[in-house]
Amino acid sequence: MIFALFLLVLAAAVVAYVMARQRATALSSAAGQRLHSRPQHHGLHSALWVLIAGWGALIVLTAVGEALIQRALMARISDALPDEGPLQWNLVLSDARSFAQGAVSSEMDPLRERIAGAFSWMNGTRLWVTTLVTLVGAAAAGWWTYKGITVEARARVQSETIIRRGLAVMATVAVLTTIGIVFSLIFETVRFFNAIDWQLHKFLLGTTWSPLSGVFEGEMDADKVGIVPLFAGTLMITLIAMMVAVPVGLFAAIYLADFANHRVRAVVKPVMELLAGIPTVVYGFFAAITVAPLLRDTGESLGIQVASESALAAGLVMGIMIIPFISSLSDDVITSVPQSLRDGSLSLGATRAETIRKVVLPAALPGIVSAIVLGVSKAIGETMIVVMAAGQGPNLTGNPLEAMTTVTVQIVALITGDTEAKTAAGPAFTLGFTLFVLTLLMNMLAQRLVARFREAYD
Amino acid sequence: MNDMRLIERAVDMDDIKISARNVQVYYGDNHAIKDVDVDIQDNTVTAFIGPSGCGKSTFLRCLNRMNDTIDVCRVEGDIHLDGEDINDKQVDPVQLRAKVGMVFQKPNPFPKSIYDNVAYGPKIHGMAANKAELDEIVERALRRGAIWDEVKDRLDAPGTGLSGGQQQRLCIARAVATEPEVLLMDEPCSALDPIATAQVEELIDELRQNYSVVIVTHSMQQAARVSQKTAFFHLGNLVEYGETGSIFTNPEDERTESYITGRIG
Repeated sequence: MIFALFLLVLAAAVVAYVMARQRATALSSAAGQRLHSRPQHHGLHSALWVLIAGWGALIVLTAVGEALIQRALMARISDALPDEGPLQWNLVLSDARSFAQGAVSSEMDPLRERIAGAFSWMNGTRLWVTTLVTLVGAAAAGWWTYKGITVEARARVQSETIIRRGLAVMATVAVLTTIGIVFSLIFETVRFFNAIDWQLHKFLLGTTWSPLSGVFEGEMDADKVGIVPLFAGTLMITLIAMMVAVPVGLFAAIYLADFANHRVRAVVKPVMELLAGIPTVVYGFFAAITVAPLLRDTGESLGIQVASESALAAGLVMGIMIIPFISSLSDDVITSVPQSLRDGSLSLGATRAETIRKVVLPAALPGIVSAIVLGVSKAIGETMIVVMAAGQGPNLTGNPLEAMTTVTVQIVALITGDTEAKTAAGPAFTLGFTLFVLTLLMNMLAQRLVARFREAYD
Repeated sequence: MNDMRLIERAVDMDDIKISARNVQVYYGDNHAIKDVDVDIQDNTVTAFIGPSGCGKSTFLRCLNRMNDTIDVCRVEGDIHLDGEDINDKQVDPVQLRAKVGMVFQKPNPFPKSIYDNVAYGPKIHGMAANKAELDEIVERALRRGAIWDEVKDRLDAPGTGLSGGQQQRLCIARAVATEPEVLLMDEPCSALDPIATAQVEELIDELRQNYSVVIVTHSMQQAARVSQKTAFFHLGNLVEYGETGSIFTNPEDERTESYITGRIG
């Protein structure tokens, strides 16, 4: 119903567009002079106001109506069951609502039936009011803009203002979402630190990570929340991944940009980018089922002890996953180094290799560094591969052949584990926040580096 | 008097630096240069003129095999530098380009310091045994590029920060730093203002003392000002080639005359 109304307003906007445009055209030929704004601008102006009025009324009434109904029904329920708590009241309300909508509810009694009846009536009324106000609003907006069409009306300027504000609102939504997420991270992190009495050194430097063992609701044992083994694992696996991805990706990019002829390039580049489209969960079981046993068997035949879940297996496969990010971005920046610089170097008798090493790569360096930073961020944040291939136990070791765990794996373990959310959320959010800060610092460092080594070309 | 002229001619004949015979260039299916024969003399400025798309730049790029870098481009015919076929399999284009320098239409300094721009070629070719020698080479090249006085106090500043005219003179200095024997210039002044153009033209005239200079230009006045020999290209053909004075005052071919007087082009 709401969706149909949404479409109806859209249709009304189209009608308003056509009508306003026609009126403006007619006005222009009748008055025999040029309009300030062209007919389609008048149409656009009218359509925009119809959308604002119609959709605005729809959204506001739906939200407000929902809240009003909720409050009215809750008031009735709490009057009927003064001895119960909010938990029970909510249960009654949801039962009544599902009954009213024809679904099966957990149990029925007279109260629930009464509430269900009230809900049906209120909901019906809300729908009618919403429909009426929306349509009247849209029509009024259309009529008002239609009447406002004159020779000197500044419809173009006004509709451009509306569109500009609309764009600004969208940009604000994106920013506010980010800020909201960061604040919720900070909030939970502060709660977690309160639970361990702000013993930050134990969190940052502790070597035991077992936050949920033997704790009660909302409480934490500061001696068991050391993140060192987790970050050691993350860094080790990231390092292995980058040792695979950076050379392969960068050299592939150099080959594609400067040596491959266009036919090879036309095949190889899309295929490499296809690698980026493989879901990481596929890489994950590839690592766990194929690579890890292969490493273990190879290790055995060489007389080296390799765990069946190892940081090496996860890192290698993660490196393969990151190759296309590095190669594709580096290829773009290397290709965008102007041909004139290559010509200049070649014309001085430099070989192609010298040209690439001494002119092209320095000029492309900022882009290459940001490609690598993006790769590192991907590696740090990657979860599926490490969950399957690297192990779960927080094991502090420098040996890549042993099982290790990472920050992201522990977040997964906390959230999907059977500890209730309230206790598990604290450490999970705190790990997420720490990860976020780490990535942020790394990006800032990378930008610093880029600014220092930048060789600008025009 | 006539005897003197004869002797001069004889010297000229001996001093042919580059001789091209029957040169054809194809871009894919497009026949861009047709049957070009030309002799370029040493210590002379030779100008290539002609309307846009006539192939003069393409022909210029044949002389240091820069067309090798374009996949679809194919060059046929004989081009001899000091009697040696430059398209021979034995000839390394890298070594050829060390002998035949090039300056491009748009100034293309590397995103490096002024010093490093000029030192780039000498370093690659191992021309300096130590820093002092390199300093000397750089200074000499910058002086020859007529830009030393403007940049001597800021050799560490980026080359890309110079003005357009300074950048182009820096590129000329960079090209002469490797001690080439021939200097190819592809419309070196088209991105420059009149003052910078005058400076570069003056420089070209000085460079003639040591090099054979070949310059592609759209400006007939420029060709008349700086060159001793002029070649007129039209639709991939070399229409006329001779003393600059006679090309401009007394052209033999009517297409040359039409172009010079502004009727085609």
